[in-house]
Amino acid sequence: MLKLAIYGKGGIGKSTTTANLAAAFSKLGKKVIQIGCDPKADSTMNLLGGTPVQPVMNYIREKDEEPETIEDIAKVGYGNVLCIETGGPTPGLGCAGRGIITTFSLLEDLELFENYQPDVVLYDVLGDVVCGGFAAPIREGYAEHVLIVTSGEKMALYAANNIYSAVQNFEDRGYASVKGIVLNRRNVENEYEKVSNFAKERNLEIIADIPRSNDITHYEDQGMTVIQGDASLPISQVYLDLAKKLLEE
Amino acid sequence: MRQVVGLTSTYSSDEFGVCSALYELGGMVVMHDASGCNSTYTTHDEPRWYDQDSMIFISAISEMEAIMGDDDKFIEDLVQTANELKPRFIALVGAPIPYMMGTDFDAIAQIVEERTGIPSFGFMTNGMQYYPNGISMAMERIVDFYCTEKKETQQNTVNILGATPLDFSINGSVESIQEWLKSNGYTVNCTLAMNCSLEDIQNMSKASINLVVSTGGLKAAKLLESRFGIPYVVGVPYGKKFASKLLEKLKLKKTSLGWDRKQVKKEKHLALIGEAVTSISLACAMEEENDVSVIVLDPLNENNELYRTLDVYVPEEDDVMEQIKSVDGIIADPLYKALCSNKEFYPYAHVAFSGRIFEKDLPNLINTEMKRK
Repeated sequence: MLKLAIYGKGGIGKSTTTANLAAAFSKLGKKVIQIGCDPKADSTMNLLGGTPVQPVMNYIREKDEEPETIEDIAKVGYGNVLCIETGGPTPGLGCAGRGIITTFSLLEDLELFENYQPDVVLYDVLGDVVCGGFAAPIREGYAEHVLIVTSGEKMALYAANNIYSAVQNFEDRGYASVKGIVLNRRNVENEYEKVSNFAKERNLEIIADIPRSNDITHYEDQGMTVIQGDASLPISQVYLDLAKKLLEE
Repeated sequence: MRQVVGLTSTYSSDEFGVCSALYELGGMVVMHDASGCNSTYTTHDEPRWYDQDSMIFISAISEMEAIMGDDDKFIEDLVQTANELKPRFIALVGAPIPYMMGTDFDAIAQIVEERTGIPSFGFMTNGMQYYPNGISMAMERIVDFYCTEKKETQQNTVNILGATPLDFSINGSVESIQEWLKSNGYTVNCTLAMNCSLEDIQNMSKASINLVVSTGGLKAAKLLESRFGIPYVVGVPYGKKFASKLLEKLKLKKTSLGWDRKQVKKEKHLALIGEAVTSISLACAMEEENDVSVIVLDPLNENNELYRTLDVYVPEEDDVMEQIKSVDGIIADPLYKALCSNKEFYPYAHVAFSGRIFEKDLPNLINTEMKRK
């Protein structure tokens, strides 16, 4: 089972990358679960035709009880990708990080992996490792590898460095390690060079170089990934190549 | 009203369940929490505290350590103390503050084990669950780690699983269970976890059968069954007749409950409030020797695999009040009397509920005649 956590600055394209990667893995015949770990709960929307799944925290808040089956909190999206969102507390209240941990232990109780037997699990995690809860996806038993999504923008690289440092700090805990950088281009000046230098300084590899593409926006407006919209597009091929590379490694 | 206890008390928490289960095993047990209300464990829930030494500690986490997630200080304290005291193992026990912070106890235990060379375990308790969850977690983990090798089976040799003072006090009940087994031709191998050592746990695989005396011992029994094929019987030998029936079940050497699940309501109908295994056993013992039916109201966890036809899970105080409307009398810890003003009330203290307050009044009912005079 390949288990990946995708981190990066808010708004950098984590969910787009994750959802396209999920769609690409499924296109390659793999059984995929995508778990959105963000109170906004918008990670899996483009795998679900724009109709979101009810997040776990929302379910618990509304029903005042824990879900009893995976079906209560999951929806099957494009390519049979099983979509789950942790969601979070009412904005401004509670503890979103704790919500992620609670969701994970609930998924364990419901024996998600044992029952569903996925080939690939993708965790799409909110902007930064800000507290214990947001490090939960990289703890032992969850993701084994971290992908950091960044552009060449200064603040995106700053956030990428924070994430890299946090993962390094957890080295003695047996947590996930950084697999590489996904360059999600914003067309800033000398973008490849900037990200390449960042990666080299940390002994990391740029494992995908995703060009800025209007096709992504075009299909997201219709509630789908580019893989679903048109798998023959060059941008779709980039995601498919990344999925193949991750599977080979 | 949900999750409100207005008239009675609450049961001991899962973190105290871990402490109680590990108390006598020579480990260093550290509750990671602010100091203060955790002293309830030592003053109320642990009758061994003043007479028997154990390395039970509280980390005394501060507000700033919680905000900063300063695991390093906790780790340093653990390593330094362990190097001084040289415990057999180290157990890290979760509480509400680390639960909310998402402290990764398994990861911390891994670091501490690497730095001290002492086996270390993280227990993800949160102080919001009840003590059987903690006992269960601790007993399963300790058996899983220490009892790995199959020893030659010795016939008529039994382990007792799930014994802690939270359910049995220190009034001689556990010793009486051991005596009862011995007088019926059994050798008691290991009593998890009273009068018990880690060496006893390593040798648990010698037993031909396990006797589970509380819900806290069930998971460990299931583990020993799956790992070594040792069957288990669930029940406590309360009363004379029920003890005889339990003995017959033990002799069959098959996994089973010590009681029949079918129950018939009698004219005199009582309710017994408490932990499932001990209470159902006691209810059966009373039914065997008197013309009464006794239903068990289990306020702790939903144990459907154990209940007889009339037994019920009562998670809320309101559920207890509803259930006792239809009975003639109630047997329960004295602190439940506040709910039972219009009914006959038979006090039967439970350490996990009222602590040490009524400890002197707690009778030892193992293999004792239960006929009401």
